[in-house]
Amino acid sequence: MAATGQVKDFTATMGWARGGRSSLRSTNLIRIGLLLGMGIGWEALSRSGLLFRDVVPSLFSIWAAIWKLVMNPAFYANLQVTAWEIFASLAIGGGLGVAVGIILGANRFLGAAYEPYVYYLAPTPRIIFFPVMIMWFGVGVASKIALGALSCFFTVALSTAGGMREIDKVLIRVGRSFRATPWQMAMKIYLPAMRVPVLNGIRLGFGTATVTALLAETKLSNQGLGFMIMQIYSRFDMPSLYGLLIIVFILAGVGNLILGKATGTSA
Amino acid sequence: MASPSFSQSRAFPILLGASTFIGAFVALEVLLRYGVVNKYVVPLPSQVLMSLERIVVEENIVGRMRDTAWEMFVSCIAVIVLGVPMGALLYRWQPLRRALLDWVAALAAAPLVLAFPLFLVIFGRSATTVIVMSVITGLAPIVIKTTEGLLGVRSVLINVGRSLKMTDAQMLRMILLPAALPVIFSGIRLSWTFVLISVVGIEFLINLGGLGQLINDLAERYDLPGTYGAIGFVILVSVIFFMLLERVESWLRPAR
Amino acid sequence: MTLASTATTGAPSGQRPQLVIDKVFKQFGVGPGAVTAVDHVSFDVKPGEFVSVIGPSGCGKSTLFNIIGGLLDEYEGDVLIERERIAGPHKAVGMVFQEESTFPWRNVIDNVAFPLELQGVNKSERLDRAHHFIDLVGLKGFERLMPSALSGGMRQRVSIARTLVSQPQILLMDEPFAALDEQTRLLLGDKITQIQQDLNQTTLLITHNLTEAVQLSDRIVVMTYRPGKVKRIVDIDLPRPRSSDVVSSDAFGHYVAEIWADLREEASRGMADSESARRGGSRG
Repeated sequence: MAATGQVKDFTATMGWARGGRSSLRSTNLIRIGLLLGMGIGWEALSRSGLLFRDVVPSLFSIWAAIWKLVMNPAFYANLQVTAWEIFASLAIGGGLGVAVGIILGANRFLGAAYEPYVYYLAPTPRIIFFPVMIMWFGVGVASKIALGALSCFFTVALSTAGGMREIDKVLIRVGRSFRATPWQMAMKIYLPAMRVPVLNGIRLGFGTATVTALLAETKLSNQGLGFMIMQIYSRFDMPSLYGLLIIVFILAGVGNLILGKATGTSA
Repeated sequence: MASPSFSQSRAFPILLGASTFIGAFVALEVLLRYGVVNKYVVPLPSQVLMSLERIVVEENIVGRMRDTAWEMFVSCIAVIVLGVPMGALLYRWQPLRRALLDWVAALAAAPLVLAFPLFLVIFGRSATTVIVMSVITGLAPIVIKTTEGLLGVRSVLINVGRSLKMTDAQMLRMILLPAALPVIFSGIRLSWTFVLISVVGIEFLINLGGLGQLINDLAERYDLPGTYGAIGFVILVSVIFFMLLERVESWLRPAR
Repeated sequence: MTLASTATTGAPSGQRPQLVIDKVFKQFGVGPGAVTAVDHVSFDVKPGEFVSVIGPSGCGKSTLFNIIGGLLDEYEGDVLIERERIAGPHKAVGMVFQEESTFPWRNVIDNVAFPLELQGVNKSERLDRAHHFIDLVGLKGFERLMPSALSGGMRQRVSIARTLVSQPQILLMDEPFAALDEQTRLLLGDKITQIQQDLNQTTLLITHNLTEAVQLSDRIVVMTYRPGKVKRIVDIDLPRPRSSDVVSSDAFGHYVAEIWADLREEASRGMADSESARRGGSRG
């Protein structure tokens, strides 16, 4: 429509410092330029010898280390352990979180009674519960799963409860007006409307479970990617340390992206 | 599912929550005393409560809190000093924003704190490691929220500034920043929460100074009530910190 | 249809026009999709005069406002103040915007004193002058309140006081009462009339409200629906000093009817245009 087009053009020229529209190409150029600049700067710093040896290892040695890690069967064994921990944490903590979140979000009374506890406990440092988890579940995989589950429970419960409250109340009134039975209400109104908050909660829970499980592995374990990080650290093998961290960040990013796509919620 | 609340009073749910909370501890105490739950895994809540006094007296809690507070203070200031100008830069220069905002968002979601061994190599087991790591963990939200807040400033306010022929610096100081402040502060709250988690967490992980180490120490001595007490104490401190931040944020938010 | 040629002819002997709009033309977009918002618009505003620009939605009024205010730099033709083409916002022009534009983080008096703060006026004088204008717009006693505690009409009066405090030679307003209800609008109109008469304030008001325009103006510039041209310029010979009582007079009704005859044609063109755009999704 001409009218809206005009308004849009107009605001584009009006805003202070909003600039013109730059093309996708220039965006990519800037990205490539920044990456190249950072890479060259890094390499130059690495070769200048200004910093202690190996603090800034050459990009080529990092690349070689990544390659070696990817070829190493131990990497996959550890990856499997960590992946299992994250999955189990998410299944237990996330499942409980969704259940509790739905109850707290749907019932105003229970929400008012118990949600403050979830809300204020959620942003506390969860890793400090690790000693307790070790006492309860031993030093193996189980304590990491327990800690991961504990961490993502809060994230998922809060996000789900918040999402539940945002469900448009008019939808519920519409359902009632059609004299839907409780079963019909649950299947036709609540479940479809809850999909997005629940899935978004799980995606957030994945991030929390990942960080917590990996951190717990760095503290005390004998397998998993976190353990591998500490092993490499104890050898002061800097290229491999950078390499493994890069791999872990990429894997976490990909996991987040896949969950985001699968659930239709953006990162 | 949405059952109508059977009491209209506001105090009632709060009371119920609190009594459940306390009731759980009483039940635990009873179960422990009757030996249903293993005393060597979970200490008596009453012992934990009493251990608090011991922790305060014997474990140099004041000095530890000072260490943790100092690391947090430096990190919290640093994330603002670094993050707000970065966010302003992303706002001011649109091509940069288009290129980088997604990346910053990805960084916010990445498990950056895992890089602590890297900084352990560079800075050793020192407060610097804790601070650098915490700043890196806490930076992204403040950058994103600053950009978001500045982009959200209503264009009519900017036009008022232009009609008064304000300079860019005046515009930033007197219109853009005050208008964006509520959103920027919500970023500060997020960032500072991340900083708190990271400071205590890394203290615990690398066994250095502060409150995080206290838990580690007590756990290694297998001081059961002490460990639980220290965890409870740290949680209490975090919750108070978080509540204070929230109070400031709601105070900054315009009533409109 | 009288086009644009009244630019200088209407000026009484010896009185130099303060603001001249000369063949201003503005087009948005390029190629076949381009929309001409303002099409060779010319008129002038003399010192102490109150002129309104009226037209249906989509006639380019707001574009014209932004051009005269210096917020929109790329246009053809000239906007002259004291015979000089403006470049950017001119210091002689004070603008009042359609949207809510008080600063929510400043209380009433600090909002009003804001332009003086920019000019580096010292605090006591700043507050004195702000008090004077707060009084003038009838907000005495509300100095310490935050805008969030005020009604929409009161906030708009704060904006007007903030613009007046730097004593602009030309007051430029873009539908300042658009968001207000009819009663508030009439009463605020009284306030504006009174202020304009007291200060002998040169004023250019952009509006789509016919009664408001007739109530306040010495002259009304009627614009056509897209492209926005000057359809007619009407002198309003209602007695001054005026108040909202004027709306019940015969002469007032006569003017309203006369201008509405022009405006109706344009407004219905605009309405048909937007309806067809909705129906067909095609560009109007």
